[in-house]
Amino acid sequence: MPKTIIDIRNISKVYKMGTQLVHALRDVSVSIEENEYVALMGPSGSGKSTLMNILGCLDTPSTGTYLFNGTNVNELNDNELAEIRNREIGFVFQTFNLLPRASALKNIELPLVYSGIKKYDRLDRAEAALKSVGLEDRMEHKPNELSGGQRQRVAIARALVTSPSIILADEPTGNLDTKTGNDIMKLFQNLWEKGNTIIIVTHEEEIALHAKRIIRLRDGLVETDEINQNQVTFN
Amino acid sequence: MLYEIKESIILSFDALRSNKLRAFLASLGVVIGISIVIMMGWLLGGLDKAMQDTFSVIGTDMLYVDKWDWTGGDKWDRLRNRKNVTMSQAEQLKELHGSAEYVIPNINQWATTIEFGGETYAGMTAVGTTAENVHTPVGNLLLGRFFNDFEEEYGSNVIVIGYLVYATIFQGKDPIGKTIKLNGRPLRVIGVVQKRGTMFFDFIDRQMFLPLKKYAGIWSIDKRSMSIGIKAGLNKDLDEVRNETIGLMRIIRNLKPNEPNDFSVNETKAFEKSIADIRFQVYTVGIGMTLLAFIVGIIGIMNIMFVTVTERTKEIGIRKSLGAKKRSIWIQFLVESSILCLLGAFLSLVICSIIAYLAATYLPTYFPEIGFLLPVLPTELFIIAAIVSVLVGLLAGLIPAIRASNLDPVEALRFD
Ligand SMILES: Nc1ncnc2c1ncn2[C@@H]1O[C@H](COP(=O)(O)OP(=O)(O)OP(=O)(O)O)[C@@H](O)[C@H]1O
Ligand SMILES: [Mg+2]
Repeated sequence: MPKTIIDIRNISKVYKMGTQLVHALRDVSVSIEENEYVALMGPSGSGKSTLMNILGCLDTPSTGTYLFNGTNVNELNDNELAEIRNREIGFVFQTFNLLPRASALKNIELPLVYSGIKKYDRLDRAEAALKSVGLEDRMEHKPNELSGGQRQRVAIARALVTSPSIILADEPTGNLDTKTGNDIMKLFQNLWEKGNTIIIVTHEEEIALHAKRIIRLRDGLVETDEINQNQVTFN
Repeated sequence: MLYEIKESIILSFDALRSNKLRAFLASLGVVIGISIVIMMGWLLGGLDKAMQDTFSVIGTDMLYVDKWDWTGGDKWDRLRNRKNVTMSQAEQLKELHGSAEYVIPNINQWATTIEFGGETYAGMTAVGTTAENVHTPVGNLLLGRFFNDFEEEYGSNVIVIGYLVYATIFQGKDPIGKTIKLNGRPLRVIGVVQKRGTMFFDFIDRQMFLPLKKYAGIWSIDKRSMSIGIKAGLNKDLDEVRNETIGLMRIIRNLKPNEPNDFSVNETKAFEKSIADIRFQVYTVGIGMTLLAFIVGIIGIMNIMFVTVTERTKEIGIRKSLGAKKRSIWIQFLVESSILCLLGAFLSLVICSIIAYLAATYLPTYFPEIGFLLPVLPTELFIIAAIVSVLVGLLAGLIPAIRASNLDPVEALRFD
């Protein structure tokens, strides 16, 4: 039986805006297993990013339980959450979120710094990660010396470098043209084929079709959650 | 943790480099504060050195039995009524003293005029003493030699002159073997004492030393009170020697047990008080100014650190999303504010070094009283400045760093 990585039950997230309560998520239950490839879809404001932040342990739910690899996340303190983010989760953001003053290599090295890995080991692993996204000739480039697609590759390399249990990507192609977006999706497919677990937030149907499973949110609720029968794969 | 600090140091330099002017302005208060601390330490260092010099001029292992008290503690007219310290008392003391290495009588003739080469030079002090004076700081000679036992015994016409006497009369020309006249009596110069004077004692270089017997042939030694120098010897216990001296002098001067001492035993300690007074003044002014400067400095740094934290909210969010713990975040900002202050301290040291050098080199020409200024800053000031600046940096960076480490990662990531 495959291992369950993510198991959320009856999760809700409520924001207070003055006197008004915003229900970003209401009663969401999802379970994701090892080596799944999931697309999270839904209109703007449906709660995709909110769910992603909770899954990534950046945020905590208002109610409900979250088991990550069997650990109850609700019971963890800030430091323990930071450790989970560091070791188990690789984030990829729409706006890349690279440190502007640091080189590509330094950016990729950063998560390893926080896991307390020795310098020479870090460099080896960061270089390997950069190679795996095809940017070995751009190590010393700063983000502003790279194209959007290249920046997103650096961000993916950074997400991969700690060999996390899961990669969470919030609109990873949102700032890229179609062709570059496809390159990035090809990269995700490769990772998936190598055994990685991937969740991608998107509101583009074509992007979602690359995933094996599609979860649709609406108004903070899971509308549908089904296997993608027409998965589009790159050769 | 160590690695994180190292990494933060590199990051901080990057950050500061990209905002040099702002960093400079922010650290201005610290620069001023540290500069005051340094200048204060520099002044006190000079004073201490002057004090040490003064002590070595007199001799830290020397006691002087006198009618007068160096501390000025007792009333002058009460001291005036004391009986003189006489030659025969000095001889008895020398005879009886067990713990002292040397007992050396001195008698001073102030405001003596020297005749040489048809000119007269006023304001010198003739000192009649024994050959054993060569074992006190007076015995450190620049030229020639001190008079010996034989010359003392026979009251030879020889004299050893102080540095200012030499400089005034001979102006660098060889004085040895030249004859000068005191009260019309010819005396052959056989030695010159090294320069010893400091801000507290420049009269000391106007002294000149001749055998007591010779002195007695020129001036009367009965009407004047003597000063008996007692050398304890460096490894002797000064208290023991002082106690014996007091005991013997009381016997020699026939004091009854209930009578107070009618003489003083002077030593270099007497000058510690006047130095302590100056020190205290430097401290009070300095500490007040330092506090003020540091409050301004800390506010400046704290302010700039708040701005920095706000500017880097996004970066903090990114770091947190990658697994940075709170500790990593606050270390980064504390290191940055400390480095900011450390650079301020470095700047202060450069500025103060230049000021100290210029002041010590050129000012004493116009104001001889401040001849004690040191041309280089004492080394420990560099360490103090570094430590103080890092402390200020930590203090100023504390609240901004805590604020940074407490930022919510989702909020921080959303920040533009
Ligand atoms: N910090 C917050 N404070 C108040 N309301 C919030 C906050 N974050 C999100 N929301 C609200 O929660 C709801 C879900 O937001 P979320 O960002 O998850 O949407 P999304 O599905 O990611 O939308 P998009 O496709 O536009 O990114 C929205 O109505 C939003 O206004
Ligand atoms: Mg979103």
